[in-house]
Order: sequence, then structure tokens, then C-alpha cells
Amino acid sequence: MRPTVATQPLWPAPTPMRDFLDDHPIKLRRERSPVPGSLRPFVLAIGLCLLAGLLVFLDRRGVITPARQAVQSLTAPVAQRLTSLRDEAGAFITAPRGAAALEARIAALERENGELRNQVLRLEQVQVENAFLRQQLAIQQAHPWTLLGAEVTVRSPDAGRRMITIARGSREGLRPGMAVISQLPGTPAALIGIIETTGPHAADVLLITDISSQVSGRVIHQGRAEVGLVQGQWQRGSRLRLGQITRALELAPGDTVVTAGLTAALRLPFELAAIPPNIPIGSVEAVRVIDQYQIAEVRPFVDPDQVRYVWVILSQED
Amino acid sequence: MALAHEVGRIIGLFALACVQVTLLGLPSGFTLPLVPVLVICRALLGVSDAFPDVGLGRALRWALYGGLALDVFGATPLGAHALALLLGVLVVAALTRQLRVERPVVPLLAVLVGMLIYETVLALFLQPGAIEWRSYLLMVVLPSVVIALAPTLPLFFMLRRVLRGQG
Repeated sequence: MRPTVATQPLWPAPTPMRDFLDDHPIKLRRERSPVPGSLRPFVLAIGLCLLAGLLVFLDRRGVITPARQAVQSLTAPVAQRLTSLRDEAGAFITAPRGAAALEARIAALERENGELRNQVLRLEQVQVENAFLRQQLAIQQAHPWTLLGAEVTVRSPDAGRRMITIARGSREGLRPGMAVISQLPGTPAALIGIIETTGPHAADVLLITDISSQVSGRVIHQGRAEVGLVQGQWQRGSRLRLGQITRALELAPGDTVVTAGLTAALRLPFELAAIPPNIPIGSVEAVRVIDQYQIAEVRPFVDPDQVRYVWVILSQED
Repeated sequence: MALAHEVGRIIGLFALACVQVTLLGLPSGFTLPLVPVLVICRALLGVSDAFPDVGLGRALRWALYGGLALDVFGATPLGAHALALLLGVLVVAALTRQLRVERPVVPLLAVLVGMLIYETVLALFLQPGAIEWRSYLLMVVLPSVVIALAPTLPLFFMLRRVLRGQG
């Protein structure tokens, strides 16, 4: 007998290829088809193009814009999350690896940090300068003075001389004898010193509280004025003293003392001729009578030891 | 069932558009055009289908959904990307109806042509003023097309494999 041959196939019958996306069987054409397809898809394409064009038109007219924005607001959180994931992945990938790379990165960051600190400092300086310039503008609007601002760079290192050095000099038009004023919060702009010497880019200012400082002053009492001499008293444990006031005018605490500008008024060829009259100096705190004269302890409006920025009166409008 | 598949297609293309605009940005400022390349590859596979009209119809629907998704994520006027993709697919389909798509050069040429049309139509829709075409071609269109060519073959063969349903 001839053996029977099994009719069962060794392999299961092949399943037809299916389009798992479109759920339809597909069959690729192996040979070049001489038969062109119908015009149906092209008609569909034209229809879809017209639909897309209509959508563009309506969106530009704003008709469907709210709907698009609503969909965008729904998808935005997902997009943001994915974008942040990409950024995190990018940061992780580009992060330095190894000690050498880390050291280089640290060095670069330190350089950048230094540059940023410098920028911050410059910015702060500009802000401070801006504040001082605004203050200067306010003073100039209230007084007929032409001012030049200057920072206090150095204070006298010892108590023997009450002086400060400012960062402006003869190059900027400063010369000895010019009045230096300043202003603190809650005080009027008031005299704090007189320029004693000038260099090209710096000037030394003798504070009015120094014992060697003497300026002609005018005290005002109930609409009347009397001229005297304002002298520094710091080394004597006080601030200012107003002397040589006759008893004709009876002084009282609270009276205001301003510069008299006598040297300028008399056109004397002295350095102090550069001090204009009517610069506030201080107010009377106490009065003593000695013989025919009165001596007043004066509290300066601006404590010269507290100032950090000053203005030099370059000139005064007549 | 068909409606569910259509909704699934729309969701899938929106997801791909989301991936394109969020994850596929390049440091040079360009974006890997995943959706346009996929749609053009789908059109190629559609015209080479046993029923090319059906296949092309599906590719056109992919183009519409993918373009609208790009418009939503890209904040462009709704329909602009869709129209550009539809025109690109249409031209590619017209040019490749008589070609055998198995040769690798065909997908590359199809994406080249399709992306040129896509970028040109987009420029016409999205650029506000007069376009200086010479510089626009050099600075925008050509780099975009070159970037699009990079993933074309992997995407084409992967899509063909998926559509055939063979592991």
C-alpha cells in the first residue's frame, strides 16, 4: 500500500494583510498600473481644500477664532508639560559630565557671576546717582544756585581737622572758597563746609564745624536780621557758635542762621567771596550774653559728619 | 465602528502634532516636520494601494486632520496648515500615481516635492508682507525640506509595515 500523504498544511494559512490603522485589508500594487485611478479622490481633495480655505477665511474674520482658542486652551497644558519635559531632557543631556567639565562649568559660572555682580553694582550706582540728581534738581528749583554734585570719598582720619574729600576737582571748575551744601532727609539744603584746596579730580572741604572755620552769618529774629560770625566748635565739644551779635537784637532759640555773604557783598578779593548769601546754616539752640554781645550755640541743619553726597555751589544767579 | 476609527485617527494625529511642536524642535530653530512627512508617506502608500482611490482619500483625511492639529498647536489661522498639506498631498499623489513606491528614492522625492509645496503655501498664508522669495527659499524652505528628508525613509518603511500589519 502506498502510504497516505497528509493533506494538512505545515503552516497555517496566511491571514490577509490588514490596515490596522484604517481597519481595512490592503494590498500593495507590485506592478505599475496602466489604469489611472478615478477622479474621485481629486474631487475630494478639492472639496477638502475648499473647506480648509473656508476655515482660514472664517478664522481671519474671527468667526471661528473663539472655538480655536477654546481648543488651544484645552491642549495648552499638555503642550506645556511636554515642552518642559523636553527642556529638562535637554538640560540633562547638555549637563557637564566628569570632574574637568564640572570645573570648567563652575569657572564659567563664577565668571558670569562676577560680571553680573558688576552689573548690579553699576545699576545700584546709577540708581543712587539718579536719586542725588533728583535732589539736586529740587534744590536748584528752590534756590538760585548752579550746583555740582560730588561724592564724599574720604573723611578726616583724625579729630584734629574736620575735613572731607570730595570726588570733584579743579577740572570740573571747583576752586577754594566755594560753599559746599548737603541735604539729609527732613532737613533743608544747608551749608556743611567750604572748599579749602583743590586737585584736578578731588577737593578738600573744611567742615563748618571745624574750629578753624569762620563764615559770616546772618541771624533772623522776628523779621529782623543781624550779622555775626559763625565759627566751628567741634573740637570744643560743640558744633557751631554764632558770635559778635549786638544786644540790639535779642536772640532766641529757634532763630535761623544763614550765610551773610559779606565777602562777596563787599567784593573783597578773598576766597570766601565765593560763598553766596542766604545759604541755611542752622538754628539757634541757646543764647548767652557776654558784655555788649550775644553768643548763640547753633545746631547745624545738616550734620556734616553724616553726609555722603554733597553739592558745590558753582555760582548764583543775581 | 468607522466613526470610532476616524476619531482615533484624529486623536492620533493631534498627538503627533503635539509631539512635533513640543518635542521635535531643533536648536537651529527649525522643527522636525513629523506630521507633514507622515501624511505625504501615507499619500504615497495610498496611491500604491490596491484601491488607490480609497487610499488617497484616507491620506487626504490625514492631511486635513494633521493640518488642523498643527494649526491648533501652532496658533496659526485654522485651515492654513491643512490647506498646505492637502495641496502637497494632491501634487504628490498626482505625480506618483504611475510610480512604484518601493524604491527608496520615490519617498524622498515625494517628500521633497510635497514639502516644497507645503512650505510655499504656508509662506503665502502666514507671511504678512511681501515675501523676498530668494532669501526665503534659502533661509527657510530649503533647510526645512532637508530636515524633512532625514526621517522620511524610516517613517515611510515604518508606516508601510504598520499598514501592512506584518510584524
